[in-house]
Order: sequence, then structure tokens, then C-alpha cells
Amino acid sequence: MISPIKIWRRQKEIRKILGKKGRILIWTKIFTPGADFKKYAPYPVILVELENKEKIYGQLVDYDEKDLKTGKKIISILRKVRSSTEEGVIAYGVKFKPL
Amino acid sequence: MINVIGYYTTQFGELWEKSLFDLVEEAVIGVLKQIKLENRQIDAVFFGNMLAGVLENNLHSPSKIAEILKINVPIYRAEAACASGGAAFNLAKNYLDATRNKNVLVIGAEKMTDYSPEETIMGLSAAASGEEQEAGLTFPGLYAMMANFYLQKYGYTEKNLAYVSVKNHFHGSLNDKAQYRRKITVENVLKSAYVAYPLKVLDSSPISDGASAVVLTNDRTMINKQKYSTRVLASEVITDTISLKERKQIDEILATKNAANIAFKNAKINRSDIGVAEVHDCFSIAEILAMEDLGFWKKGEGGKKITDLSTMFGNGGDLIVNTSGGLKAAGHPVGATGIKQIGEIFLQLTGQAENRQVKNIKYGLAQNVGGSGGTAVVTILAV
Repeated sequence: MISPIKIWRRQKEIRKILGKKGRILIWTKIFTPGADFKKYAPYPVILVELENKEKIYGQLVDYDEKDLKTGKKIISILRKVRSSTEEGVIAYGVKFKPL
Repeated sequence: MINVIGYYTTQFGELWEKSLFDLVEEAVIGVLKQIKLENRQIDAVFFGNMLAGVLENNLHSPSKIAEILKINVPIYRAEAACASGGAAFNLAKNYLDATRNKNVLVIGAEKMTDYSPEETIMGLSAAASGEEQEAGLTFPGLYAMMANFYLQKYGYTEKNLAYVSVKNHFHGSLNDKAQYRRKITVENVLKSAYVAYPLKVLDSSPISDGASAVVLTNDRTMINKQKYSTRVLASEVITDTISLKERKQIDEILATKNAANIAFKNAKINRSDIGVAEVHDCFSIAEILAMEDLGFWKKGEGGKKITDLSTMFGNGGDLIVNTSGGLKAAGHPVGATGIKQIGEIFLQLTGQAENRQVKNIKYGLAQNVGGSGGTAVVTILAV
């Protein structure tokens, strides 16, 4: 169960980091995820350095295998992150796509 | 002087017949029987456990342990993710530093196989930062990031990492309490499925059940009565940021480095004095980083050094690492691991390690890590 209040609190932070450009610092691809992420696996997770030097994590979407490399340019976007139950709140958060 | 005077561990593995507190009971009865200590001679208990509250709604463990022991003494639970056992040992040591003529029981235990792997992985993820959890970064994922960074930086490949698992599975084949007793080859590791690129199933420690216990004392009469005893020269806990991204170096666990520096200073010995070490090989990359961060190997050399297998039992090296099989082969019941590591050093230093006994050793070290390096515990024992 994802607390709607937690999502509400987090949303305020997320909008500040949307539409930002940066580069991949490190990447991995998760094949064995936790329960909430099972339906997305395998999925790449990247650590990004934004142009303002801020570092953030997120999944890479709409990608080709060749995009999985250090230095690749990306942009942050809003995407569905997880939904724990059929009737539970759907959590949206930051993901990235290649530029 | 504080001494470890007894050690017992349950089998590690998928122990479906036993609950968390069945395992705790077996470890407690086992260690007390071995050193002929009565329950009423225990002055305090420290318990390392991570997941019981998260997975099975099972808390207030001190009172549950009191019921098993039928004693009414201070009992505390320590939680520091995978370093819960090491943290419990450290608290016990500090307790003894502050008191006189006391006997303390330290237990580490974890029950992980009652749930699906996804549920257990989700529970373990509780020990990561909120942002890491939201990105779907599992612990294998965090260590995979460290591994990918390290391999790229120093020009190593997945094959370099594989040697860690080959060595630790060989050691596991010599330990009848280990979860895995099967020897494996570099090829086996490289052919196993990915968990989080570049780490594979055979680079990773398993999900395990188990409990381990040691008894510590600062009572000289009690120490003199014992057949087997090792001195605790140092036990140091250091913490660091929860997020991997906030660290200055991705391929270094600063908490380990700092804890080791203080531990060696307090123990007044050199790195070269250590004959056996148990390091926290939750993933193959973690043993290589540990060997560098503890100061046994130079930064960046670990990937090459491990391929010599000089730290493998029987190869004539000066320092043998993870004779228990490490987390990889002995298994990783999270809260038990830190105690099993110290217990293995105790067995080695007191000549009780049977077919994996390293000869002519005086000092041993255990390194226990929580999360991706947010907590590290370094303990040094001597005979």
C-alpha cells in the first residue's frame, strides 16, 4: 500500500526536477526487482548529473541498448513509477529518456 | 580485557521447519551448552535483526528472547540493515567497556525464506534511500552500479569479479554449516543469469535463514575457566550517507576505510599481522572493494589481485579471506552474518576450524557492511 499523503508530499519536489537535461554517470539494468516493480523488469536505472550539477536517480525509458553508456545525454520526464494494488494510488515520478 | 569465549551457529539455508525464534533458541542453547554457562549467568543480551518488523510484523524481540531464556535482564535489538549483527556486537563490547565482571550474549538472526523473493527484496530495500527505492534500485542494483563504475575505471571485466565467488564457494565446500557446499568455476559464474548488470546470480549472496550467537565476557575468572578464548582488540562502527550518489567516491566504502583505520590504531597492530579475515561479500564486487578499503590491497589493484587467488585456503597466502564461505556460499541471513563472521574468526584463532583451519595465525578481522555502505563495522580479534 502506497500512502497517498506520501505521494502528495513527494509530488512537490518532483516538479522541480522535470524537463532537466543531463548526462549518465553510471547505469545498471535490474533483472530481479522488488514486488512493486516486477512488471517493468528488466529495466535500466541510471545515476544522472544534471546541467546544474545536481545528481538524481531514475529509470531510463524509450531507449536503445546503445544508449546505456556513461556520458549519454538525457532529459527528465514524468512517468508512472509504481502502483501497489489495483485500487491503490498510482505513484508518478521522474524517469529519463535519451536525447 | 573483553574476550569472546563461545560461538554457535545454526545451519544457514532455506530452513522451512524453523521460525525466527526457533533459530534464535537453537543458537542460544547451542552456545550456552558449549561453554557450560547457565542462563542466569547472562547479564545482558544484544540481538541483531533487520527484517522481522518489516516482513512478519514481529517486533519487541527483547521480550521474546527473555521468554526463551527465562531471565529478566536488559535485552536490546540493534538494526543497521546487513550490519545489524556487527552493530549488536559493537554495543555488547561497549556495554562491557562500561561495566565489570559481566557476561553478555550476542545473537544475530534472520528469517527470509517465508516470503517470495520479490517480497524479501522489497523488505531489504527499506534500507535504501527513498529516492533509490522510487527508482526501483535494489541492493544488487546499487552494488551493480559500483561494479560497473569500478570495471570501467580500471579496465577490468566481469571475469575478474567471478574469482571471488569461485574462492568463496570452495571455502563453503569445507564448511558444513554453509548454505552452498558446491564448488563452482569461473565459467559457471559467467554463464549465470544477470540479477543487475554486470552482477549475476553467482556474483550474489543468497536469501537465507539462520542464527548465530557468541558470548562475550570481561570476567577474568570466567575467561580463565574457558578452553577457548579470543581477545577483542577493537570493534568500530562508522556511518556514512544512505545514498550512494552522495558519496565522494562510488567505488569506495568510506565507512569501511575509516572504521578500519581506527580499529588498527586501537588494536596497535599492522595490516600484515592479520592472518584470516571475514569480509562482507554480499556481491563479488564488495569483497574486492573491501580488500582495498581495509588497506590490504591498493585502490584499483583488487580486480587483478583476486585472480591470483592468494586469499584462497590452501594456496599458501599470508591472509586467507572468507574461510566460512563468505556471504556468497555460507549464506546471508542478514542479522546473523555479522555474528557468524566474528564466530568464524573465533574458530580459526582457537584452532577449531577443522578442515579449513589456517595455521600459525594470531590475529583475525571481520568487516560487516550495512546497505550500500551506510554503516560499516570492523572487529579485530587476537589469541
